[in-house]
Amino acid sequence: MLMHVIHMGHDVYKANDKIAEKNRKKLDKHQVFSVNIMGAIGSGKTTLIEEAIRQLKDKYKIAVIAGDVIAEMDSSRFRKLEVPTIPVNTGKECHLDAKLVEKALGEIDLDNTELLLIENVGNLICPVDFKLGEHLRVVVVSVTEGDDIILKHPMIFKTAELAIINKVDIADAVNVDAEKMREDILSLNPNVPVILTSKHNWESLETWIDFIELGVKEAQKR
Amino acid sequence: MGAADLHEFSIACEIFEQVLATAKAHGATEVKSVTLQMGRLSHTNPEQLSFCFKAIAEDSIAENSDFLVEMLAPSLECECGYEGTVNEKQIRESDTLTSELLAYVAAIECPICGGQARIVGGRDLIIKSIEIETEEDQTTESNNN
Repeated sequence: MLMHVIHMGHDVYKANDKIAEKNRKKLDKHQVFSVNIMGAIGSGKTTLIEEAIRQLKDKYKIAVIAGDVIAEMDSSRFRKLEVPTIPVNTGKECHLDAKLVEKALGEIDLDNTELLLIENVGNLICPVDFKLGEHLRVVVVSVTEGDDIILKHPMIFKTAELAIINKVDIADAVNVDAEKMREDILSLNPNVPVILTSKHNWESLETWIDFIELGVKEAQKR
Repeated sequence: MGAADLHEFSIACEIFEQVLATAKAHGATEVKSVTLQMGRLSHTNPEQLSFCFKAIAEDSIAENSDFLVEMLAPSLECECGYEGTVNEKQIRESDTLTSELLAYVAAIECPICGGQARIVGGRDLIIKSIEIETEEDQTTESNNN
């Protein structure tokens, strides 16, 4: 019997990062702007994506990757809006990873896509460590999760490039101060744009949609 | 914690696959230990990860291996040129911070200039090394080849 020490230095997250980089290059090559929409369960991710699709689908060619642990409820909502939708059932996983997105990209006609919306699995913890190759990392929370939700999950807000506080129209009913939530986000990530949205306030949704449109236009200049 | 369990499980699977492939490539008959390096900002729980790894490794050559985790402090980089790790002792002594994780996020303030220092490390999860046992004659054989 002989004992050996084998040095491996295998970085588990870097393995994911490498595939994410590959995804990003592929998207860049096709001038696709991609958005990773992360957020809490029931925070309104699907609704915000639906609104963006409704407003932008006549101007740009859109595709959607809909991540869900099981079932295809979200994908069927997107399909109703007549955009190509790839459901990704993560099975036992609590987040999308770069490998799953790589596989989904193989099923999308990228030559005919200008905007790719990726809905991550509802979770404020696990998606943080897994880059997908996206151009914009969005985190969505709603007032119904309580105004301490942000400080309880600092890393996702720290690494987000856009933060959305949704359902602000019912903040009073659930006794939550949406402005406090905004301040909490800014205390973790002072430079991140924060948007307060409500399904019933068209102006608030317009800011979210403008944000995406800006990215699409930038991507087309590349 | 349900979601977190699943998260650890998939990472443990990845670690197991990598460890076994490396062990087999070196002609191992048994894996004695697996050493990981984990950044404190990684959303991975070392105890859960160890539990999942042991469950997956059952009936394999890594069945009885020790699963060792070394924790790494987050590292910072600032525009002023400062590079270093987060001062963990200072964070623990501060009473304004409510949780360990939040402490790290708040500690982004550069200890030199007070500006916003960037986190450049601390979310790593690295399989550092494994300790394996091989048959003596098998090693000799491969050396002769």
